[in-house]
Amino acid sequence: MIPPVLDVRGLGISFGGLKAVDDVSFSVERHRITTIIGPNGAGKSTLFNLISGALTPRNGKVMIDGVEMTRGSAEQKKAAGLSRSFQITNLFFELTVAENLRLAAQLLEPPTHAFLPIRRSRRAMEKTERMLERFRLAHRRDELAGNLSHGDQRRLEIAVCLASEPKLLLLDEPTQGMSHADTQDTAALVRGLTEDVTVLLIEHDIGLVMNLSDHVVVMHQGRKLAEGPPKVVRSDPVVQAAYFGHH
Amino acid sequence: MLDRLAISMRASHVLAILLLAAALCLAALGAALDDSFYLRLGTEALIFAGLALSVDLLLGYSGALSLGQALYFGIGAYVSALTLMTVPSFWLAMAAAGLATLVAATIGGLIANRVRGVYFALITFGMAQVVAKVVYNTRELGASDGMIGIPVVQIQFGPFAISAGNPVGFFLIVLAIIMGLYGLSAYLLETPFGRVLTALKANERRVPFLGYSVWRARMAVYVFAGLVAGLSGALYPVLRGFVSPELMFFATSGNAVISVILGGVGTLIGAIYGAVLLVILKSIIGSWTEHHLIVIGLLFMLCVMFLPKGLVGFSRPWIERRIVRVPSQEVTASAVSPAIAKSRSAS
Ligand SMILES: Nc1ncnc2c1ncn2[C@@H]1O[C@H](COP(=O)(O)OP(=O)(O)O)[C@@H](O)[C@H]1O
Ligand SMILES: [Mg+2]
Repeated sequence: MIPPVLDVRGLGISFGGLKAVDDVSFSVERHRITTIIGPNGAGKSTLFNLISGALTPRNGKVMIDGVEMTRGSAEQKKAAGLSRSFQITNLFFELTVAENLRLAAQLLEPPTHAFLPIRRSRRAMEKTERMLERFRLAHRRDELAGNLSHGDQRRLEIAVCLASEPKLLLLDEPTQGMSHADTQDTAALVRGLTEDVTVLLIEHDIGLVMNLSDHVVVMHQGRKLAEGPPKVVRSDPVVQAAYFGHH
Repeated sequence: MLDRLAISMRASHVLAILLLAAALCLAALGAALDDSFYLRLGTEALIFAGLALSVDLLLGYSGALSLGQALYFGIGAYVSALTLMTVPSFWLAMAAAGLATLVAATIGGLIANRVRGVYFALITFGMAQVVAKVVYNTRELGASDGMIGIPVVQIQFGPFAISAGNPVGFFLIVLAIIMGLYGLSAYLLETPFGRVLTALKANERRVPFLGYSVWRARMAVYVFAGLVAGLSGALYPVLRGFVSPELMFFATSGNAVISVILGGVGTLIGAIYGAVLLVILKSIIGSWTEHHLIVIGLLFMLCVMFLPKGLVGFSRPWIERRIVRVPSQEVTASAVSPAIAKSRSAS
């Protein structure tokens, strides 16, 4: 049997007395969109930090493609095929749009290219151009990432994550602060990704979540409250009380 | 296709060619007039330019301010001096100095790269002070007097030889070595490895999530910068015939940082212009007044206030516009103002 792309078992961490993530288990199936929802402070971003190597879990296991990588560093997890974005836009603001993408795409090249002139890294350059086209950023390629509009920056973040051709993409509230039109646009974009990658999403917009997700995991106060197909989760009375009740 | 960083580097190369042309003029003039004072001053300026280059590699590209880069300059100088006093071979002295600074910079890097920002500046400062004090108190190394009487060597090029005592000849050799180090540094910065350094400076915390090891990149640039400083330092005893612990003191490291800021952080060639300017200023002002440090301090303050990007940072965008050859002023201004010239201190 092929193992799930991501398998999280009993994951936990506390900050001081606060159990930010507490005994969370779920798995992510290949070429699906799995979404984590939950109120602010539920521990969603912390869960991403634990999975991606930004934080080291206190308890539990993280398996990527069946390989245990619980204590792996961010670089090691990247090498295993995991790419992530951040809730707060995290780009190289002083570098150009193209350079942000090229840096990410460079990982497609053999390490021997590290000390050869940049133009020798053809795959990375071609990948950069394709991402610029696909994410409609070509006309801004030489602009500094810091000068882009918020919507363009959020799109560039997704593009940067994809440029290294990961297996698993973790997106932390990609539509945060976007206009309605941009949100719809991004949703369509994310839907189109599943041909190449598996997506794990954190998303606030419930309409979007219901539309987009194959599988939903609900978190509340650090714990997993429920999981299942979007419709089932939505009508779960426990979830209704804890989460939808707030809206 | 050239991107912004590549265009900026090309503009630096234009300024490097200008400097090279000026240096060759000085050499020709010096040879014609049988001068040795200005040629030796120029040689010294170029040697300290190598140290400044090493500071800019760290500060201007990976964003790490070293306040102790003179450590490697001094190690290079002492190892070169010791070698020359044993075997009078210029190339052997350079090789020994290079090897010694590689080892020293690896050890120094393992210590300094445990921390960031202000702590990195303080640790590099501290390491240089400790080693300088040890040298200062070691009789075998001449203690506070340093070592004198380093022989004037013949520098072999296959069947040819140039005496290190020949002002024009040695000036040209030092010019070639320092410009070679500049060229090598510029080459490295235009590789994927070099671009990871600019990424470190721009947003270090994002780098691991792209799959690059921050520690490895910082170590690599630190060791390379140490080597550049060490090879430059190795030239010093060949020129002056002596070494002294002052070469490792903070004044030497500090002057290199000032040179980089005068010339323009993150421009490479600015470090060389800055160091040349500083040595010349010191010499000219020093001949008017013994309080030349006051004048240089004031000039430095004025530069930071009115030319925060340094001489090269200020003039380079003009050259960049000529390189991209786009006529409209606004378009070019936004397309080429250098992304890396945002030159804040190490943090
Ligand atoms: N590095 C940290 N140190 C201390 N507390 C943290 C840290 N990161 C997150 N927290 C706390 O953990 C809880 C979960 O935060 P977070 O994962 O960001 O929630 P979410 O993304 O679901 O809104 C919050 O109470 C937050 O204040
Ligand atoms: Mg969050």
